[in-house]
Amino acid sequence: MASPIDSWEGAEVIFTFADSPAVIGFALLASVLLTAGVIIATFMHENHSFSSMTDD
Amino acid sequence: MEAELAAELAALKESIAMTTTINLEVFYWWCTTVMILIHAGFLGYEMGASRMKHTLAAGVKNILAFAFVIPTFFFFGWWIYLAMYNGFVPDFEAGAGGLPWSGSMGPNLADNATGVFWAAFVLFAATTASIMSGAVIERIRMSSFVILAIILGSGVWILAASWGWHPDGWMTSTFGYHDVGCAGVIHIISGFFALGVLLNLGPRIGKFNPDGSANTIRPHNLPMVLIGLMLIIVGFFGFLAGCAIYNGEAQWVNIYNQPMTLSSYAFNTLMGFAGGIIGAYVLTRDPFWMMSGALCGIISCAAGLDLYYPPLAFVIAFIGGIIAPLSARYIEKMGIDDAVGAVPVHGICGVWGVVACGIFASGYPNMAEGAADVNFVGQVVSAVILIALGFIPGFVVSFLMKKAGILRVPGQAELRGLDEVEVKFPAYPENQTPSSYGGDMPKPAPAPVA
Repeated sequence: MASPIDSWEGAEVIFTFADSPAVIGFALLASVLLTAGVIIATFMHENHSFSSMTDD
Repeated sequence: MEAELAAELAALKESIAMTTTINLEVFYWWCTTVMILIHAGFLGYEMGASRMKHTLAAGVKNILAFAFVIPTFFFFGWWIYLAMYNGFVPDFEAGAGGLPWSGSMGPNLADNATGVFWAAFVLFAATTASIMSGAVIERIRMSSFVILAIILGSGVWILAASWGWHPDGWMTSTFGYHDVGCAGVIHIISGFFALGVLLNLGPRIGKFNPDGSANTIRPHNLPMVLIGLMLIIVGFFGFLAGCAIYNGEAQWVNIYNQPMTLSSYAFNTLMGFAGGIIGAYVLTRDPFWMMSGALCGIISCAAGLDLYYPPLAFVIAFIGGIIAPLSARYIEKMGIDDAVGAVPVHGICGVWGVVACGIFASGYPNMAEGAADVNFVGQVVSAVILIALGFIPGFVVSFLMKKAGILRVPGQAELRGLDEVEVKFPAYPENQTPSSYGGDMPKPAPAPVA
C-alpha cells in the first residue's frame, strides 16, 4: 500500500510510502541516479555533437 | 455557562492559530511564485544578451540550471543550511529535519512551514546559478555548467547562508554580520564564483584583439534584455519579502530575529531601485546599464534594507549604480569577458552593500546571546570571507574541468553557433541567412589559449 495511514484522524506524515524506508530509499536513489545520469547523457550528447560537427 | 465560554474561547484560539499558520504558508507560497519571475527575467535577459546564433543554447542552459538545482537542493542543500551554521562541522541533530528522508521533507499535516521555506530557499539557490549563467554564455559546455550550477546553487550559496543568513550562523554571532537581503550570501558568492569560472573559461572568440584591446559584442536583442531585467526586479520583490519572517500574531522579524517591518523593505527597495538606475544613467547613458543599475541599487541596499533611512538608501544605491559599470570597464581591461556584467553587478555591488551596512548601520544590537552589534569591521571581515567562499570553489572546480578539457566548447562550435551545433535548430528560422545566422561577429581573433 502506498498510503502510510489508514485514518486521517491524527495523521501527520502522509507522503506515499512514508512507513516504508526501503521504498523511500529506492525512490531517493532513483531520483539521484536520474539526475546524475542526465548530466552524463548531456556530456555524451555534446561529444557527439562536437565530433559530428568536425565530420561535416 | 462559564465552561461553555471557555470552550468557545479555546476553539477561537485554535482557529486563530490555524489561520496564522495558513497565512504563513500562503505568504511564502506567493513569495516563491513571484520569485519565479526572476528566472523568467534571467531567461529573457540571457537569451537577449547572446548573439543570434547562441540564443537557444543560452536559454536551455538557463532552464537547466533551474531544473537541476531543485532536486539537488532537496538531496543535500536544505540539510547544509540546517546543519552547517557553525562552520565546517555539521550539527547532525539540527540537520536531521533537512535529510531527504525526513518526515518534514514531504506532505506532513503537522508541518505547514518546511515545504514553503524550502521552496523559497530553492528559488534563492536557482538565482545564484542564473547569476553565473549569464557571465559564461556562448562558450561553456552545458554539462560542465550544470555541475557548476549545482555546486554553486545547492552547495556554496547555502553554506554561506548557513554561516551568515541564519539566526545562529557563526558569522553573525562572531562578527555581528548583518545582511537581511542577501547582498553577501547570494550576490558576493555568485559574483565571485562566476569570476573564478571566467578566469579559467576565457573570453568569447573575438572579444579581445591580439593587442589586448576589447571588442564590443552587442546583445542580439537589447529590448529583450531590458524586459528581462525588469522581470528580475519584479521577482526581487518576492525574493525580498521571502527574506522576512512572518510571525503571525507578532511583529515581523528578519532572519536574525530582529524586529522589522515589510514597509522598511518597501521604502528602501524602491529607493534603491531608483538610485541605481539614476547612478548608472549619469555615468553611462546606456539602457543596458540603466536597467542593470536597478539591480545594482537594490543589491547595494540589500544588507540594511530593514534599517536605512530611505534617502540614505538612495545614495548608497546611486553609488552602486556608478561602481558597477566602472568595475565592468576595469574587469574588461584585465582581459576577462563577463558577458552580462555579473561580477560587477552582483559581486562588486554585493561587497559594497555589505560594507555600506557596516558604515551606515553600525551599532544595531543582535539578538543572539553574546553576539556583536552590527559593526564596520565585522562587515568587512565577513565580506572577505564570502569573497573567498565564492571564488575558491568556482576557480578550483572550473580549473579541474579546464585541465580535463571539458569546460569549454570547441572553437569551431562557438564560431558556428551553439544553436546549430548543440540545440540543432535556430531561434529565428525565418531569418536564417548566412549573414544573420553568423550574427554580428566582430573581427575574428585567434582562439584563447587553453
